[in-house]
Amino acid sequence: MTAQSRRRVRQDKLQVMAAHRRILRALGNGPARRNLFGPVDREQLQTEYRDALRKDLEDASRRWSFDFVSEKPLEGGDFQWEGVSGVRVPVLYRSCQDGEHPMQRAKEPSSDTQKEEIPRTPERFGSVPQDIEKTPEKRSELKRKQTNITDFYQAKKRLVATPRKSGQ
Amino acid sequence: MELLCLEMDTIIRARPDPNLLYDDRVLQSLLTIEERFLPQCSYFKCVQKDIQPFMRRMVATWMLEVCEEQKCEEEVFPLAMNYLDRFLAVVPTRKCNLQLLGAVCMFLASKLKETRPLTAEKLCIYTDNSIRPQELLEWELVVLGKLKWNLAAVTPNDFIEHIMRKLPLPEDKLDLIRKHVQTFIALCATDFNFAMYPPSMIATGSVAAAICGLQLNSTNRSLWGDNLTELLAKITNTEVDVLKACQEQIERVLMNNLREGRRQQQKQQQQEQGGPRSKALDDQDQSSTPTDVRDINL
Repeated sequence: MTAQSRRRVRQDKLQVMAAHRRILRALGNGPARRNLFGPVDREQLQTEYRDALRKDLEDASRRWSFDFVSEKPLEGGDFQWEGVSGVRVPVLYRSCQDGEHPMQRAKEPSSDTQKEEIPRTPERFGSVPQDIEKTPEKRSELKRKQTNITDFYQAKKRLVATPRKSGQ
Repeated sequence: MELLCLEMDTIIRARPDPNLLYDDRVLQSLLTIEERFLPQCSYFKCVQKDIQPFMRRMVATWMLEVCEEQKCEEEVFPLAMNYLDRFLAVVPTRKCNLQLLGAVCMFLASKLKETRPLTAEKLCIYTDNSIRPQELLEWELVVLGKLKWNLAAVTPNDFIEHIMRKLPLPEDKLDLIRKHVQTFIALCATDFNFAMYPPSMIATGSVAAAICGLQLNSTNRSLWGDNLTELLAKITNTEVDVLKACQEQIERVLMNNLREGRRQQQKQQQQEQGGPRSKALDDQDQSSTPTDVRDINL
């Protein structure tokens, strides 16, 4: 690359930066840190959040014909749920209530301290050992709190006229 | 023996993968699936009551500024705008929650695209603490649900390399063109008129606008006006007329933005100097105007 072409490339770069800044300046007005539309109504936000989650849950219940709150199958949907015994599901999905890992259970926080709908933050997983992938027993610790439907029921799709894609 | 540690606190990024970029099947797949990630309707007409197009522009502008200031990857902003539009197309939203939504969308897009994503705390500071990290995390879940967890949306940025490698472009100008294209794409994302366009069309129109703007078409015959449009239209299966219209629309938006920017700049300068326009200001103005034209080369 000659000195001249190098200079030209640099000039181009400067031009681009200038162009980019200019366009952005045209869009911007003042510091990026700003409140755009006034104060947020916290209580209403909280209500809307709960409503939205509840509605999602209701939609999911309808979609899968399963009441996720009481963990019972619903009648008359696209799915027929059948119970299976816990020993038939992979160890990953088994709950620890059979006393398999009493020591791990002792570490478990009491269930009423955590509201179910609060999203999990990384901190919650902070205490999980690094080698969780080594044995299924340790993995089950990760999953222990989340009992899965398939622990108790096996999904069987009933034939319907129009096939639906998962999640629709 | 001397030991040298070259490890620096920089972001490690993968090199462009030729297996992905030089395979036409990837481009064809992108073209096939891109429509799936478009907002379902023009939501200002059919869904939203409280918010107006200019408010979308306000929140988009703010999001772009945050992404710029935080030096996010280029595709974070267009992707976040895709989430925002898809959410607004299904959920009636109040004005006072629009910034929260914008922050959530940046939060998600950044997590998907960056090795060091924006934190919830940082985003809350950018809203001038009008929202709390806890609220951001809660609404993240709501937005995810409404997007059906389909986060890996196709953006115009996904097409840039696929289009550019098929054009006879001068090697030494590639970075420059790329940067211009990215700027145009970001500009389109701030403007609701482009929200329902397929990403490939925005990308193709932006490439066309960048090449014409930089006057690269003066050197190579195949990059002349109609030749270029036809070539580009073929690459992304766009209709020539539609592509031309799109390019012109991008150029118009750009012009308007530059004009608006100049007006704001002048207003600012006038305020700073606290009086009528001085001679110095006029000089400055004259010197800055031609630079604009050369910068953008419209």
